[in-house]
Amino acid sequence: MLKYFINILFFLSSLVLFSQQNKTQLNDTIIKNKYGLRVGIDVFNPISTFFDTKRKGLELVGDYRVTRKHYIAVELGYMENTTDEDFFNFTTNGSYIKAGFDYNAYENWLNMENAIYVGFRYGFSTFSQTLNSFTVNNDPFLDDLAIVENGQKFDNLSAQWGEIVLGIKAEVFNNLYLGFSFSGKKMISTKEPIGFKNLFVPGFNRVFLNDSGFGFNYTVSYLIPLYKKDK
Amino acid sequence: MTIKMKINFNYIILIAAALIIISGCERDDICIDEITPHLTIRFYDNDDQITFKKFEQLSVKILGFENDSINFSLTDSIAIPLKTTDDVTQFILTLDSNESTFNRDTLTVSYDREDIFVGRSCGFKTIFNNADYTLSTGSENWILDTESVTRIIDNETNAHVKIFH
Repeated sequence: MLKYFINILFFLSSLVLFSQQNKTQLNDTIIKNKYGLRVGIDVFNPISTFFDTKRKGLELVGDYRVTRKHYIAVELGYMENTTDEDFFNFTTNGSYIKAGFDYNAYENWLNMENAIYVGFRYGFSTFSQTLNSFTVNNDPFLDDLAIVENGQKFDNLSAQWGEIVLGIKAEVFNNLYLGFSFSGKKMISTKEPIGFKNLFVPGFNRVFLNDSGFGFNYTVSYLIPLYKKDK
Repeated sequence: MTIKMKINFNYIILIAAALIIISGCERDDICIDEITPHLTIRFYDNDDQITFKKFEQLSVKILGFENDSINFSLTDSIAIPLKTTDDVTQFILTLDSNESTFNRDTLTVSYDREDIFVGRSCGFKTIFNNADYTLSTGSENWILDTESVTRIIDNETNAHVKIFH
Protein backbone atom coordinates (compact mmCIF):
# COMPACT_ATOMS: atom_id res chain seq x y z
CA MET A 1 0.00 0.00 0.00
CA LEU A 2 2.95 2.29 0.62
CA LYS A 3 3.49 2.53 -3.10
CA TYR A 4 0.01 3.92 -3.62
CA PHE A 5 0.35 6.25 -0.70
CA ILE A 6 3.45 7.67 -2.34
CA ASN A 7 1.57 7.86 -5.60
CA ILE A 8 -1.22 9.87 -3.99
CA LEU A 9 1.41 12.22 -2.61
CA PHE A 10 2.82 12.45 -6.10
CA PHE A 11 -0.60 13.34 -7.39
CA LEU A 12 -1.24 16.01 -4.77
CA SER A 13 2.18 17.56 -4.93
CA SER A 14 2.47 17.42 -8.67
CA LEU A 15 1.70 21.07 -9.23
CA VAL A 16 4.69 22.15 -7.21
CA LEU A 17 6.87 19.19 -7.98
CA PHE A 18 10.07 20.07 -9.71
CA SER A 19 13.53 18.82 -10.37
CA GLN A 20 14.90 16.27 -8.04
CA GLN A 21 18.13 15.19 -9.59
CA ASN A 22 18.68 12.17 -7.36
CA LYS A 23 20.80 9.35 -8.53
CA THR A 24 20.30 6.08 -6.75
CA GLN A 25 22.31 2.96 -7.25
CA LEU A 26 20.46 -0.30 -7.22
CA ASN A 27 21.83 -3.73 -7.79
CA ASP A 28 20.45 -5.73 -10.68
CA THR A 29 16.81 -4.96 -10.15
CA ILE A 30 14.69 -5.84 -13.12
CA ILE A 31 11.85 -3.36 -13.34
CA LYS A 32 8.93 -4.26 -15.47
CA ASN A 33 6.35 -1.82 -16.72
CA LYS A 34 2.71 -2.58 -17.24
CA TYR A 35 1.42 -2.22 -20.77
CA GLY A 36 -2.22 -2.18 -21.62
CA LEU A 37 -5.37 -0.30 -22.37
CA ARG A 38 -6.44 2.40 -19.94
CA VAL A 39 -10.08 3.45 -20.02
CA GLY A 40 -11.75 6.09 -17.95
CA ILE A 41 -14.25 8.84 -17.57
CA ASP A 42 -13.94 12.58 -17.22
CA VAL A 43 -15.56 13.66 -13.97
CA PHE A 44 -15.08 17.39 -14.48
CA ASN A 45 -18.28 17.85 -16.47
CA PRO A 46 -20.53 15.75 -14.20
CA ILE A 47 -19.19 17.71 -11.20
CA SER A 48 -19.58 21.09 -12.88
CA THR A 49 -23.19 20.20 -13.69
CA PHE A 50 -23.84 20.49 -9.96
CA PHE A 51 -22.70 24.10 -9.90
CA ASP A 52 -23.74 25.13 -13.37
CA THR A 53 -26.79 23.42 -14.78
CA LYS A 54 -26.25 25.09 -18.13
CA ARG A 55 -23.52 22.61 -18.87
CA LYS A 56 -24.11 18.89 -19.28
CA GLY A 57 -21.60 16.49 -20.69
CA LEU A 58 -19.94 13.15 -20.60
CA GLU A 59 -16.51 12.20 -21.84
CA LEU A 60 -14.86 8.80 -22.10
CA VAL A 61 -11.09 8.69 -22.21
CA GLY A 62 -8.76 5.94 -23.28
CA ASP A 63 -5.11 5.43 -23.97
CA TYR A 64 -2.93 2.59 -25.14
CA ARG A 65 0.73 2.37 -24.26
CA VAL A 66 2.92 1.79 -27.30
CA THR A 67 6.42 2.45 -25.98
CA ARG A 68 7.88 3.15 -22.58
CA LYS A 69 7.00 6.83 -22.94
CA HIS A 70 4.41 7.04 -25.68
CA TYR A 71 0.68 6.48 -25.51
CA ILE A 72 -2.01 6.66 -28.17
CA ALA A 73 -4.86 8.63 -26.66
CA VAL A 74 -8.51 9.03 -27.63
CA GLU A 75 -11.37 10.98 -26.05
CA LEU A 76 -15.02 10.64 -26.96
CA GLY A 77 -17.60 13.00 -25.61
CA TYR A 78 -21.03 14.52 -25.72
CA MET A 79 -21.96 17.98 -24.54
CA GLU A 80 -24.98 20.23 -24.18
CA ASN A 81 -24.14 23.77 -23.14
CA THR A 82 -26.15 26.96 -22.86
CA THR A 83 -24.24 30.22 -23.19
CA ASP A 84 -25.80 33.40 -21.86
CA GLU A 85 -24.39 36.55 -23.41
CA ASP A 86 -25.44 40.15 -22.84
CA PHE A 87 -27.67 40.35 -25.90
CA PHE A 88 -28.50 36.72 -26.69
CA ASN A 89 -28.68 33.19 -25.36
CA PHE A 90 -27.93 30.00 -27.25
CA THR A 91 -27.58 26.27 -26.67
CA THR A 92 -24.93 24.09 -28.27
CA ASN A 93 -25.55 20.39 -28.59
CA GLY A 94 -23.19 17.82 -30.06
CA SER A 95 -20.53 15.17 -29.81
CA TYR A 96 -16.82 15.08 -30.45
CA ILE A 97 -13.79 12.87 -30.81
CA LYS A 98 -10.18 13.71 -30.08
CA ALA A 99 -7.28 11.51 -31.07
CA GLY A 100 -3.55 11.89 -30.64
CA PHE A 101 -0.69 10.83 -28.43
CA ASP A 102 0.77 11.50 -25.01
CA TYR A 103 4.44 11.61 -24.13
CA ASN A 104 5.34 10.84 -20.54
CA ALA A 105 8.12 13.21 -19.57
CA TYR A 106 8.39 11.80 -16.07
CA GLU A 107 11.05 9.22 -15.17
CA ASN A 108 9.37 6.87 -12.74
CA TRP A 109 11.06 5.61 -9.67
CA LEU A 110 11.24 1.83 -9.39
CA ASN A 111 8.05 0.16 -10.59
CA MET A 112 5.79 3.17 -10.28
CA GLU A 113 3.53 4.08 -13.14
CA ASN A 114 2.93 7.80 -12.78
CA ALA A 115 2.99 10.33 -15.53
CA ILE A 116 3.60 13.99 -16.17
CA TYR A 117 2.81 14.18 -19.78
CA VAL A 118 2.41 16.40 -22.77
CA GLY A 119 0.24 15.46 -25.68
CA PHE A 120 -1.20 16.51 -28.97
CA ARG A 121 -4.73 15.96 -30.16
CA TYR A 122 -6.73 16.41 -33.29
CA GLY A 123 -10.34 17.17 -32.45
CA PHE A 124 -13.47 16.90 -34.51
CA SER A 125 -17.01 17.77 -33.51
CA THR A 126 -20.44 17.74 -35.09
CA PHE A 127 -23.11 19.79 -33.40
CA SER A 128 -26.06 22.14 -33.66
CA GLN A 129 -26.65 25.62 -32.27
CA THR A 130 -30.03 26.81 -31.09
CA LEU A 131 -30.52 30.54 -30.76
CA ASN A 132 -32.93 30.71 -27.82
CA SER A 133 -33.50 34.45 -27.63
CA PHE A 134 -31.90 37.77 -28.43
CA THR A 135 -32.38 41.50 -28.05
CA VAL A 136 -31.43 43.86 -30.83
CA ASN A 137 -28.53 46.08 -29.85
CA ASN A 138 -29.95 49.53 -30.52
CA ASP A 139 -29.37 53.00 -29.11
CA PRO A 140 -30.01 52.69 -25.35
CA PHE A 141 -32.09 55.90 -25.55
CA LEU A 142 -34.97 53.94 -27.06
CA ASP A 143 -34.82 51.42 -24.24
CA ASP A 144 -36.61 48.92 -26.49
CA LEU A 145 -34.82 45.90 -25.15
CA ALA A 146 -37.64 43.55 -26.03
CA ILE A 147 -36.42 39.97 -25.91
CA VAL A 148 -37.09 38.19 -29.17
CA GLU A 149 -37.85 34.55 -28.49
CA ASN A 150 -36.27 32.91 -31.46
CA GLY A 151 -35.60 29.19 -31.18
CA GLN A 152 -33.93 29.12 -34.58
CA LYS A 153 -31.84 25.97 -34.91
CA PHE A 154 -28.67 25.70 -36.97
CA ASP A 155 -27.98 22.06 -37.82
CA ASN A 156 -25.17 20.05 -39.41
CA LEU A 157 -22.34 22.19 -38.10
CA SER A 158 -18.83 20.90 -37.60
CA ALA A 159 -15.43 21.99 -36.43
CA GLN A 160 -11.90 20.62 -36.32
CA TRP A 161 -9.06 21.80 -34.16
CA GLY A 162 -5.64 21.03 -32.71
CA GLU A 163 -4.89 20.70 -29.03
CA ILE A 164 -1.85 20.70 -26.78
CA VAL A 165 -2.37 18.85 -23.51
CA LEU A 166 -0.41 19.13 -20.26
CA GLY A 167 -1.36 16.73 -17.51
CA ILE A 168 -0.53 14.31 -14.81
CA LYS A 169 -1.72 10.82 -13.96
CA ALA A 170 -1.09 8.93 -10.76
CA GLU A 171 -1.78 5.32 -9.91
CA VAL A 172 -3.67 5.69 -6.63
CA PHE A 173 -4.63 2.02 -6.31
CA ASN A 174 -3.58 -0.99 -8.27
CA ASN A 175 -4.41 -0.17 -11.90
CA LEU A 176 -6.65 2.75 -10.89
CA TYR A 177 -5.51 6.17 -11.99
CA LEU A 178 -6.48 9.72 -11.15
CA GLY A 179 -5.45 12.43 -13.49
CA PHE A 180 -5.98 15.97 -14.49
CA SER A 181 -4.99 17.88 -17.53
CA PHE A 182 -5.13 21.31 -19.04
CA SER A 183 -5.43 21.86 -22.75
CA GLY A 184 -4.91 24.77 -25.07
CA LYS A 185 -6.77 24.58 -28.36
CA LYS A 186 -6.62 26.28 -31.70
CA MET A 187 -9.38 26.02 -34.28
CA ILE A 188 -8.38 24.76 -37.71
CA SER A 189 -11.68 25.15 -39.52
CA THR A 190 -15.38 25.39 -38.75
CA LYS A 191 -18.57 25.09 -40.69
CA GLU A 192 -20.32 28.26 -39.57
CA PRO A 193 -24.09 28.72 -39.46
CA ILE A 194 -25.55 31.33 -41.81
CA GLY A 195 -26.68 34.31 -39.75
CA PHE A 196 -24.98 33.18 -36.55
CA LYS A 197 -21.55 32.10 -35.35
CA ASN A 198 -20.01 29.07 -33.61
CA LEU A 199 -19.17 30.73 -30.31
CA PHE A 200 -19.14 27.44 -28.46
CA VAL A 201 -18.09 24.06 -29.81
CA PRO A 202 -18.44 20.75 -27.90
CA GLY A 203 -14.98 19.52 -26.91
CA PHE A 204 -13.48 22.89 -27.70
CA ASN A 205 -15.55 24.98 -25.26
CA ARG A 206 -15.80 28.73 -25.69
CA VAL A 207 -14.33 29.89 -28.97
CA PHE A 208 -12.36 33.05 -28.29
CA LEU A 209 -12.03 35.82 -30.85
CA ASN A 210 -8.65 34.58 -32.09
CA ASP A 211 -10.02 31.02 -32.53
CA SER A 212 -8.37 29.68 -29.40
CA GLY A 213 -9.88 27.76 -26.53
CA PHE A 214 -9.12 26.08 -23.23
CA GLY A 215 -10.12 22.92 -21.49
CA PHE A 216 -9.76 21.23 -18.16
CA ASN A 217 -10.16 17.52 -17.49
CA TYR A 218 -10.29 15.51 -14.32
CA THR A 219 -10.24 11.81 -15.04
CA VAL A 220 -10.62 8.53 -13.22
CA SER A 221 -9.35 5.63 -15.29
CA TYR A 222 -8.60 1.93 -15.00
CA LEU A 223 -5.73 0.12 -16.65
CA ILE A 224 -6.50 -3.23 -18.22
CA PRO A 225 -3.01 -4.72 -18.14
CA LEU A 226 -2.19 -6.81 -21.17
CA TYR A 227 1.47 -7.61 -20.71
CA LYS A 228 4.62 -6.51 -18.89
CA LYS A 229 7.80 -5.38 -20.45
CA ASP A 230 11.27 -4.44 -19.23
CA LYS A 231 11.96 -0.81 -18.84
CA MET B 1 21.74 0.05 -12.93
CA THR B 2 21.06 3.73 -12.56
CA ILE B 3 17.62 5.04 -11.97
CA LYS B 4 17.07 8.68 -12.69
CA MET B 5 14.24 10.52 -11.01
CA LYS B 6 14.02 13.36 -13.37
CA ILE B 7 11.50 15.13 -15.49
CA ASN B 8 12.39 15.90 -19.04
CA PHE B 9 12.15 19.65 -18.51
CA ASN B 10 13.01 20.83 -21.98
CA TYR B 11 9.93 19.13 -23.32
CA ILE B 12 7.66 20.57 -20.62
CA ILE B 13 9.01 24.10 -21.01
CA LEU B 14 8.55 23.98 -24.77
CA ILE B 15 4.92 22.94 -24.43
CA ALA B 16 4.25 25.44 -21.66
CA ALA B 17 5.61 28.20 -23.88
CA ALA B 18 3.40 27.05 -26.74
CA LEU B 19 0.37 27.09 -24.43
CA ILE B 20 1.15 30.64 -23.31
CA ILE B 21 1.43 31.77 -26.92
CA ILE B 22 -1.92 30.36 -28.01
CA SER B 23 -3.52 31.59 -24.80
CA GLY B 24 -2.69 35.18 -25.64
CA CYS B 25 -6.38 35.59 -26.17
CA GLU B 26 -8.19 38.78 -26.95
CA ARG B 27 -11.06 40.01 -24.89
CA ASP B 28 -14.24 39.88 -26.89
CA ASP B 29 -16.48 41.05 -24.07
CA ILE B 30 -16.52 44.68 -25.15
CA CYS B 31 -18.68 45.67 -28.07
CA ILE B 32 -16.67 47.86 -30.43
CA ASP B 33 -18.37 46.99 -33.72
CA GLU B 34 -21.15 48.97 -35.35
CA ILE B 35 -24.55 48.19 -33.91
CA THR B 36 -28.00 49.28 -35.16
CA PRO B 37 -27.49 52.39 -37.32
CA HIS B 38 -29.15 55.70 -36.53
CA LEU B 39 -31.15 57.61 -39.07
CA THR B 40 -28.81 60.34 -40.28
CA ILE B 41 -30.43 63.56 -41.48
CA ARG B 42 -28.61 66.39 -43.23
CA PHE B 43 -30.14 69.88 -43.27
CA TYR B 44 -29.96 71.97 -46.45
CA ASP B 45 -30.97 75.46 -47.49
CA ASN B 46 -34.24 75.31 -49.40
CA ASP B 47 -33.29 78.24 -51.61
CA ASP B 48 -29.90 76.82 -52.52
CA GLN B 49 -30.34 73.08 -52.33
CA ILE B 50 -26.66 72.13 -52.36
CA THR B 51 -25.71 74.23 -49.35
CA PHE B 52 -25.89 72.95 -45.80
CA LYS B 53 -27.95 75.09 -43.47
CA LYS B 54 -27.61 74.94 -39.71
CA PHE B 55 -30.52 75.35 -37.37
CA GLU B 56 -30.38 77.20 -34.05
CA GLN B 57 -32.10 74.70 -31.84
CA LEU B 58 -33.98 71.48 -32.59
CA SER B 59 -35.75 69.04 -30.34
CA VAL B 60 -36.60 65.53 -31.56
CA LYS B 61 -39.30 63.48 -29.95
CA ILE B 62 -39.97 59.90 -30.92
CA LEU B 63 -43.65 59.04 -30.97
CA GLY B 64 -44.25 56.40 -28.35
CA PHE B 65 -41.40 57.67 -26.21
CA GLU B 66 -43.04 60.80 -24.93
CA ASN B 67 -41.00 61.18 -21.79
CA ASP B 68 -37.78 62.40 -23.35
CA SER B 69 -36.60 64.32 -26.34
CA ILE B 70 -33.18 64.60 -27.95
CA ASN B 71 -31.89 68.13 -28.29
CA PHE B 72 -29.55 69.46 -30.93
CA SER B 73 -28.23 72.95 -31.46
CA LEU B 74 -26.29 74.78 -34.15
CA THR B 75 -25.67 71.87 -36.50
CA ASP B 76 -26.69 70.76 -39.98
CA SER B 77 -26.52 67.03 -39.31
CA ILE B 78 -28.27 64.82 -36.77
CA ALA B 79 -28.42 61.08 -36.04
CA ILE B 80 -31.52 59.71 -34.32
CA PRO B 81 -32.46 56.13 -33.38
CA LEU B 82 -35.10 54.09 -35.20
CA LYS B 83 -37.41 51.64 -33.46
CA THR B 84 -36.36 48.01 -33.84
CA THR B 85 -39.66 46.74 -32.45
CA ASP B 86 -41.85 48.40 -35.06
CA ASP B 87 -41.78 48.96 -38.83
CA VAL B 88 -42.51 52.66 -38.43
CA THR B 89 -40.86 55.42 -36.41
CA GLN B 90 -42.41 58.88 -36.17
CA PHE B 91 -40.25 61.84 -35.24
CA ILE B 92 -41.66 65.15 -34.06
CA LEU B 93 -39.08 67.73 -35.05
CA THR B 94 -39.59 70.93 -33.12
CA LEU B 95 -37.59 73.93 -34.25
CA ASP B 96 -36.69 76.51 -31.63
CA SER B 97 -38.50 74.46 -28.99
CA ASN B 98 -37.36 76.72 -26.17
CA GLU B 99 -38.94 79.76 -27.70
CA SER B 100 -42.57 80.73 -27.97
CA THR B 101 -42.35 80.74 -31.76
CA PHE B 102 -41.58 77.05 -31.93
CA ASN B 103 -42.63 75.13 -35.01
CA ARG B 104 -43.44 71.44 -35.00
CA ASP B 105 -43.26 69.04 -37.99
CA THR B 106 -43.57 65.28 -38.15
CA LEU B 107 -41.30 63.00 -40.16
CA THR B 108 -42.51 59.43 -40.56
CA VAL B 109 -40.01 56.76 -41.53
CA SER B 110 -41.27 53.32 -42.51
CA TYR B 111 -39.02 50.39 -43.35
CA ASP B 112 -38.48 46.63 -43.42
CA ARG B 113 -36.32 45.33 -40.61
CA GLU B 114 -33.54 42.79 -40.97
CA ASP B 115 -31.67 41.41 -37.94
CA ILE B 116 -27.98 40.72 -38.49
CA PHE B 117 -25.60 38.93 -36.13
CA VAL B 118 -22.57 41.04 -35.27
CA GLY B 119 -20.63 39.10 -32.64
CA ARG B 120 -20.47 37.76 -29.12
CA SER B 121 -20.35 41.09 -27.32
CA CYS B 122 -22.52 43.16 -29.67
CA GLY B 123 -25.18 40.56 -30.36
CA PHE B 124 -27.61 41.41 -33.12
CA LYS B 125 -28.16 44.67 -34.94
CA THR B 126 -31.04 45.68 -37.16
CA ILE B 127 -30.65 47.21 -40.57
CA PHE B 128 -33.53 48.94 -42.34
CA ASN B 129 -34.44 48.29 -45.96
CA ASN B 130 -36.97 49.97 -48.28
CA ALA B 131 -37.08 53.05 -46.11
CA ASP B 132 -39.75 55.65 -46.96
CA TYR B 133 -39.63 59.16 -45.57
CA THR B 134 -42.91 61.06 -45.34
CA LEU B 135 -43.38 64.58 -44.12
CA SER B 136 -46.78 65.30 -42.66
CA THR B 137 -47.78 68.56 -44.21
CA GLY B 138 -49.80 71.23 -42.48
CA SER B 139 -49.76 74.97 -42.32
CA GLU B 140 -46.62 76.75 -41.22
CA ASN B 141 -44.15 73.95 -42.00
CA TRP B 142 -40.57 74.81 -41.20
CA ILE B 143 -39.45 71.79 -43.17
CA LEU B 144 -40.14 72.77 -46.73
CA ASP B 145 -39.10 69.54 -48.43
CA THR B 146 -37.37 66.22 -47.90
CA GLU B 147 -35.34 64.12 -50.28
CA SER B 148 -34.39 60.46 -49.84
CA VAL B 149 -30.68 59.81 -50.32
CA THR B 150 -30.84 56.08 -49.75
CA ARG B 151 -33.58 53.60 -48.91
CA ILE B 152 -31.13 51.26 -47.17
CA ILE B 153 -30.12 52.32 -43.68
CA ASP B 154 -27.23 50.01 -42.83
CA ASN B 155 -24.49 52.43 -41.77
CA GLU B 156 -24.03 55.91 -40.40
CA THR B 157 -21.28 57.18 -42.65
CA ASN B 158 -23.55 59.00 -45.09
CA ALA B 159 -26.81 60.88 -44.68
CA HIS B 160 -29.95 58.89 -45.41
CA VAL B 161 -32.35 61.77 -45.94
CA LYS B 162 -32.07 65.49 -46.72
CA ILE B 163 -34.27 68.11 -45.07
CA PHE B 164 -34.65 71.49 -46.75
CA HIS B 165 -35.56 74.41 -44.58
